[in-house]
Amino acid sequence: MKTLTVHFTLNDAPQTLVTAAGRTLLEVLRQDFGLTGAKDACGGEGECGACTVLLDGEAVNACLVLIGQVEGRRVLTIEGLAPAGELHPIQAAFVAAGAIQCGFCTPGMVLATKALLDHTPHPDENEIRTALAGNLCRCTGYTKIVAAVQMAADKGQNER
Amino acid sequence: MSDWDVLTPQNLSELHEMLSLPSRKLIAGGTDLIPRLHRARIDEPVELIDMSRLSELHFIRENAGQIEIGALVAHTTLFTSPLLLQCAPALSKACGSIGSPQTRARGTLGGNLVNASPAADSAPPLLCLNTTALISGPAGQRQVALADFFCGPGRTCLQPGEYLHSLRFAAPAGRWGMAFAKLGRRNGMAIAVVSTCVYLELGSSGRIDTIRIAMGSVAPTPVRCPQAEAAFQGAQPAVETFDLAAAALIADISPIDDLRASKEYRLQTAQVLLKRVLADAARQTENR
Amino acid sequence: MNAETTLIGQPEIRKDAAAKADGAARYTADLALPNLTYATLLRSPHHHARICSIDTARARCLPGVIAVLTAADVPGARTFGMIPDQPVLAIDEVRHIGEPVVLVVAASLAAAKSAAAQVKITYEPLPAVLEPKPALAPGAPLVHPGGNLLAQFNVDSGDLNAGFAAATVILEEDFSVQRVTPGYMETENSLARVNADSSLSVWVSSQEPFIDRACIAAVLNLPAERIQVLSTVIGGAFGGKEDSSLAVLTAFAAWATHGTVRIVNDRRESFVAHPKRHPARIHLKLGAKKDGTLVALQGQVWMNTGAYASYGPAVGSLLTEMVTGPYHIPNVSIETQVVYTHTPYSGAMRGFGSPQAHFAIESALDMLAARLGLDAAELRRRNLLHQGDLLPTRVRVNETALGLERCLQEATAARERLRCIPATPGKVSGVGLALAMQSMGLGAKVPDTSSHRLEWLPDGRVLIHLGAPDLGQGLITVAEQITAEALELPFERVLTAPFDTRDVPDGGVTCASRMTYLVGNAMLAGAAGLKKQLLANGAALLQVPLDQLSYAHGELLLPGGRHYPASEFASRAAEAGQPLQAEAAATFPYPAETTPQHLPAGMPHVKFIFAAQVARVEVDPELGTVTVTDLVAIHDLGKVINRLTAEGQIEGGVSMGLGYALYEDMNLKANGQWVDSFTEYMLPTSRDMPTRLELHMLEYPEADGPFGAKGLAEITVVPTAPAIANAVYDAVNVRVKDLPITPEKLYAAVQ
Repeated sequence: MKTLTVHFTLNDAPQTLVTAAGRTLLEVLRQDFGLTGAKDACGGEGECGACTVLLDGEAVNACLVLIGQVEGRRVLTIEGLAPAGELHPIQAAFVAAGAIQCGFCTPGMVLATKALLDHTPHPDENEIRTALAGNLCRCTGYTKIVAAVQMAADKGQNER
Repeated sequence: MSDWDVLTPQNLSELHEMLSLPSRKLIAGGTDLIPRLHRARIDEPVELIDMSRLSELHFIRENAGQIEIGALVAHTTLFTSPLLLQCAPALSKACGSIGSPQTRARGTLGGNLVNASPAADSAPPLLCLNTTALISGPAGQRQVALADFFCGPGRTCLQPGEYLHSLRFAAPAGRWGMAFAKLGRRNGMAIAVVSTCVYLELGSSGRIDTIRIAMGSVAPTPVRCPQAEAAFQGAQPAVETFDLAAAALIADISPIDDLRASKEYRLQTAQVLLKRVLADAARQTENR
Repeated sequence: MNAETTLIGQPEIRKDAAAKADGAARYTADLALPNLTYATLLRSPHHHARICSIDTARARCLPGVIAVLTAADVPGARTFGMIPDQPVLAIDEVRHIGEPVVLVVAASLAAAKSAAAQVKITYEPLPAVLEPKPALAPGAPLVHPGGNLLAQFNVDSGDLNAGFAAATVILEEDFSVQRVTPGYMETENSLARVNADSSLSVWVSSQEPFIDRACIAAVLNLPAERIQVLSTVIGGAFGGKEDSSLAVLTAFAAWATHGTVRIVNDRRESFVAHPKRHPARIHLKLGAKKDGTLVALQGQVWMNTGAYASYGPAVGSLLTEMVTGPYHIPNVSIETQVVYTHTPYSGAMRGFGSPQAHFAIESALDMLAARLGLDAAELRRRNLLHQGDLLPTRVRVNETALGLERCLQEATAARERLRCIPATPGKVSGVGLALAMQSMGLGAKVPDTSSHRLEWLPDGRVLIHLGAPDLGQGLITVAEQITAEALELPFERVLTAPFDTRDVPDGGVTCASRMTYLVGNAMLAGAAGLKKQLLANGAALLQVPLDQLSYAHGELLLPGGRHYPASEFASRAAEAGQPLQAEAAATFPYPAETTPQHLPAGMPHVKFIFAAQVARVEVDPELGTVTVTDLVAIHDLGKVINRLTAEGQIEGGVSMGLGYALYEDMNLKANGQWVDSFTEYMLPTSRDMPTRLELHMLEYPEADGPFGAKGLAEITVVPTAPAIANAVYDAVNVRVKDLPITPEKLYAAVQ
């Protein structure tokens, strides 16, 4: 089994990892770091967004990132969005808006939202729906998710 | 996947060394390759060359009237590039319509072309721009017209050990217009059922001096449409001529039945899209 | 039902939301247990084949492999299910692509998969039948030895011939609906551990954990008491997780290896190896007088139930009851055949036959209206069910139908408003409406009790031991809200225990739009019981006559102003080892005097929910593409318990209905494989939903519902597809009678 060494920043903490080269970021996050917020819902095809994490601030599907490709880069998962016991304004908005039912898509949705609001602090509805088009949800019909994003944008969420 | 080996060249000369073993597969954004390798359930070890560190292939620049784009530029970058918005808006739009925001952040122009799906969204605009592909490898560099780059569904003219280095096309000038449209089964994460791009230039008389039409998902590869173009040459851009071009289009395309659509539907909707895109491109010339 | 409530109808925030928002919520596949091993399944590549041999020798020797199991290794019952025709692992024969044949347990998932690839199975492919009508033809390949007709349901009332004789117009049409997948984001998965005392603990993402326990017990030949089934957070279910296969396989793997095993279905497996919505063909013959009065309906339904029974018969019986929709039709004859085929099996899925039935009847009514030159809403109004009407099942409609007329009124008004919106240039717009009816409960003669327990915690909070799982829809929140209301406590002071069959009573299956009603009533009963307990305990402790004590807001009150918080008594009782608890149970009422007894078990249903939805579409006539620009959803839910979760159910149901109408189809591809990935199977994305989605929640109380509440979950997905189909017809005069409405079908007809 071929291994490689990766140095990267995970939720603001520097990491050095020696692991099999063919593993994806999703696998590593879930198995090695116990960060199970990123989910596998489509079998690693990049079709559902449930594994969305931020890579240098951009929303990406962790199932399609080879672990070596995060060398020297910053990875943010849902667990790193706010200090333990606190909620980031986007998370708080999702909770308050009733945008969370089964919750399986929620971490991906929240991070896709963060990537959007960091680039576009006051998106219109079309921009919101486009930014979330890579995140499937089967429970909510997206309505309250869009409302949550608008709520977060209105409150201004320029942190981190 | 745990048997995979990944080599990571830090520069092009390291890449060339690694390409001496032609069984190695190149990976950039991985958005096509990783799902494909998963589905194939390959059990023997796979050797990948991860191109993502090759900053030499990340560029969008203008050089003496030529626009040059490195193969590793991500679709998101292409979509937001001010240079491309100005001189190749249809390419911007096409790249912005690929997949999802997540896959656009990672997927590259080179990857989209090398994957060589007949539905590759970046291809019709690049074909309309008479793009040249720069191919590189340990043996040196060569140039190929993009139209000759695609050989069949999933196949390109890349020889073992070669890679796509960059794309180059002349920046449009004069009274030009360019438009792109794509028909998908849904609005989000849509794979093209048919896609169309038109580039045209008007002469001083207001007639069409230059016209290039390219389509996706209607042939084994993305294709130019010479018959449709010929029907248009020298014509006035107007609804009647659009209809003529659309009728001539049938000779240029050979769609098939597949999961997303039937051959007949593609034949008919290709003509509809072409008319709309022609009108859109013609409208743009009014601003120049 | 009091008019004055504090919490009922309020948008209380669900207590599990924060953990879901910050990634702390652990779903079954997220649980980390020591000594975890992994199992994978080798599945049939054939629709139908005989298994000639299974050679596991090579696989067993591979590094990390712990066990390679087949049907021969199953210690107890080798099949399971409501009708136990579903093998744990295939026995001699495979009946659908994806059927599990061999179970490989290994130290890592990669090792398990490598080993699975080394198992050699030789098959003899056999003729297969994939559609119901051919499966019923003489000489058709048999799916099961008893024949391909799994179940048949007949409902007859009145005199059909006389009815048609009195008709001025007879409409006869064929409708067909496709196979769809529940498509929950969390695929099926389970985790099982053999404990030191040889008991088994099984975590499973399931709607029916007590049934899972019973199936595991039978398959492993163990008493149910030795098996503990636990539920953690569930990532959606929609009926598709009313299936014990993963629980049984995982428990079997753990038992066989005396270890801790996890099995997770990947998305492809979820497509082919877990219940789908029944595809169906519905033939309707509808007779009406010139003024639109419906006089007769004959329905024939063929349901494709796939390779195993699952809940097929139950879906069939409910579909049969829904064919007539919310209308009074005096002369009716309906026959539904639930047919086995060699396809991935169908079972419970949100709506349970009603979406299929309503696509037919609601499309047919619009077609009839056009034939008669009547307005489609008016035609419906003339035939609407009213209180006192008799259904074809001979159930008399009670006051719950009051909301139905109002649904239609509001739908008609919405239709007029939406009609005024001008079409986008280049597009053609249309507006359509549909009514819907959904039953509540499991049907007569099926035991339908939901049992739970309430407990006063030492600190005076209340703990609900909820006997049925929350699927993500917010059942726990509704239970807590009702309990808090009944006990006059703040919402924060009521909690719910984690689900564990060793702790909670059997609450039954979370399904059938019955939980708000049953659980809510159970909570009311339990709250009354908790008050009684507290009063009795308080009287004894304080040495005060019972009639001098009263209860308010979590406290006992004595005359003269003295008051004691519940914690005073609860803490003492807990210390003494006798916590203050009360049973909280409710049974679905099927009063003998009013419930017809002539139909098979599971029929009839006696309580109903009504709704209407109105869709505005824009069609691109040159491309056939359909955009739903507006949707107005009018739902009578008796009483809104939690505003946010109720809205969420409607919004989510509409998206599922929209997918059913326009995008989703798990069909067989040209290469002989089923559609089995999200690349091919189009779920609606955020860009595919109507941007204007308007909800009207009506409250016509269900007389014996908790605070008047009915159910909501399923009906939300029922009227959407026919409303869209009717809107498309309104736009382009094309009647699509087979779902999904694809651009190709429209385009071909428009040209």
